[in-house]
Amino acid sequence: MIAAEILKLRRNRPLMAFAALLSIGAVVLVFGYSALEHATNPKMNGPAGGDLGFSRAVRLGGLFFGALAAALIGGEAGTADVSSGVFRDLVATGRSRWSLFAVRLPAALLVTLALNLTALALGTVLTFALAGGQPTPGAGVIADAFLWLVLANAVVVALAVGVGSLTGSRAVTLTGVIGWQTVATQLLEREPSLGSARDGLLNVALGQLMPVSGGYQGITMAGGIAVAVIAGWFVIPSLLGLRRVVTEDA
Amino acid sequence: MTPIIETDGLTKRFGERLAVAELDLAVPRGSAFGFLGHNGAGKTTLIRMLLGLTRPDAGAIRIAGLPLPAQRARVLARVGAVVEGVGGISFHAHLTGRENLRILAAVRGPETYPRIPGALARVGLSDRADDRVKTYSQGMRQRLGVARCLLADPELLILDEPLNGLDPAGIQEFRETIASLRSEGRTIFLSSHQLDEVEKTCDAAAVIDQGRLIAQGPIAELMSGGQPELEIGCDDPAAARQLLHADPAVAAVHDTPGGGLRVHLLTGGRAEGAGAVNARLVQAGIAVFRLEPAQESLEQRFLRTTTRVGGSAT
Repeated sequence: MIAAEILKLRRNRPLMAFAALLSIGAVVLVFGYSALEHATNPKMNGPAGGDLGFSRAVRLGGLFFGALAAALIGGEAGTADVSSGVFRDLVATGRSRWSLFAVRLPAALLVTLALNLTALALGTVLTFALAGGQPTPGAGVIADAFLWLVLANAVVVALAVGVGSLTGSRAVTLTGVIGWQTVATQLLEREPSLGSARDGLLNVALGQLMPVSGGYQGITMAGGIAVAVIAGWFVIPSLLGLRRVVTEDA
Repeated sequence: MTPIIETDGLTKRFGERLAVAELDLAVPRGSAFGFLGHNGAGKTTLIRMLLGLTRPDAGAIRIAGLPLPAQRARVLARVGAVVEGVGGISFHAHLTGRENLRILAAVRGPETYPRIPGALARVGLSDRADDRVKTYSQGMRQRLGVARCLLADPELLILDEPLNGLDPAGIQEFRETIASLRSEGRTIFLSSHQLDEVEKTCDAAAVIDQGRLIAQGPIAELMSGGQPELEIGCDDPAAARQLLHADPAVAAVHDTPGGGLRVHLLTGGRAEGAGAVNARLVQAGIAVFRLEPAQESLEQRFLRTTTRVGGSAT
């Protein structure tokens, strides 16, 4: 069933093209632009690669453009059956609704990771290729970065699948998840009056666990709290989506 | 023989609106069964309850002798269904016909995959199986819906408005498909508002109006259940009309466009009524050159019955 779910996603050409643009395209664009800047004015602009370049590639994949791709793919996985009207035909097979929901997350995550891990692999190559004598990350940091990217993508995909399954609307899901992750989170994490309430923001918690510099360094929290926050963002939307799928009229 | 579908007091409400009211339905095993009703009569709601898509508020359902929803997975494993949505039959439009079947086969189980080529061939879609469904006509989508049903190797097929969007050739093909499926011992339960097609395709039917079952049984029985009528041709229609008006067994006499008479009998079968009317006319010296029972179509019967219950026919 996961293979069938992946088939639905990967054959959606506009979705895959846009997600690839956001993940792989963004890495190419950022490294390319940085390399151009460095080439035209090396005194003012450092090399595109090195530690800084790698940090940029990791953040792109886990917190910014890669996260947008994860939201797109997760939102599609969460809503495709209902919005196409096929959900009732799947339920009418007698297969449990729980299992119909359960395959959405792994399928969406595998498709997302295929893009974002490729993007980070490309970013890693460019980190070394364009280091220009700057320090480069060690194998341990690179491995941690790949694992962190899997975690960051998994939680965004779970959020999008959960919200998508809950609302059944692709437009509402994408607006809600992408708006929250890219706009609302950025505004809220910069608002000091919120104090420790900002610890509940997904990107802030992910930033605490990021193995390279460039997370939300103005906010610090214990690692255990960050893990709990991330777990909450993973589990709560998933349960809400599951509840909807199991109980709604098809 | 045990009916393949049995409902007992089945009831479903949407807020204040009663969609299905205390429905007692029995669908004979091996039949092609038409489920008739106006749009909004409750046909799709019943089908959705049969398939576990929505829960009844009261009553019981048994399919192939097993109770729903308790044995839902076991029952539905041998049921193929096409349920119409707002925009017709639903598929993932960006996938091919074959890929859509693969999606459903994955949900039904791995033993279903080998049935895909046969199902596509049976509905005549082998040549277009690798085209995207968004390029399919409505008739091709209907056929793909039947192919999707066949993946279950179904004992029972439930088809919601399967004739919608079919051209005459498509309707003819559909009739042949139904006949072929029946010959394999499968039961076909199809909902429709196209009564003439149900009359030609099915051997039994039920009529639902405003959520209530108002008739069910073999098609021939449903059609014969109305007031007996006769068509008469004679040499003196005016005298015949006057004579028959005075007959206590005759409810009404009307002129027909061809110069004949249509006689509505109050009681008795058509044969007895025809004999009595013929004798009366001949005894009065009126030469009768044509006398035949007027067969009420299923559509006429349906409209008359649902009008009585619903207050208006559409």
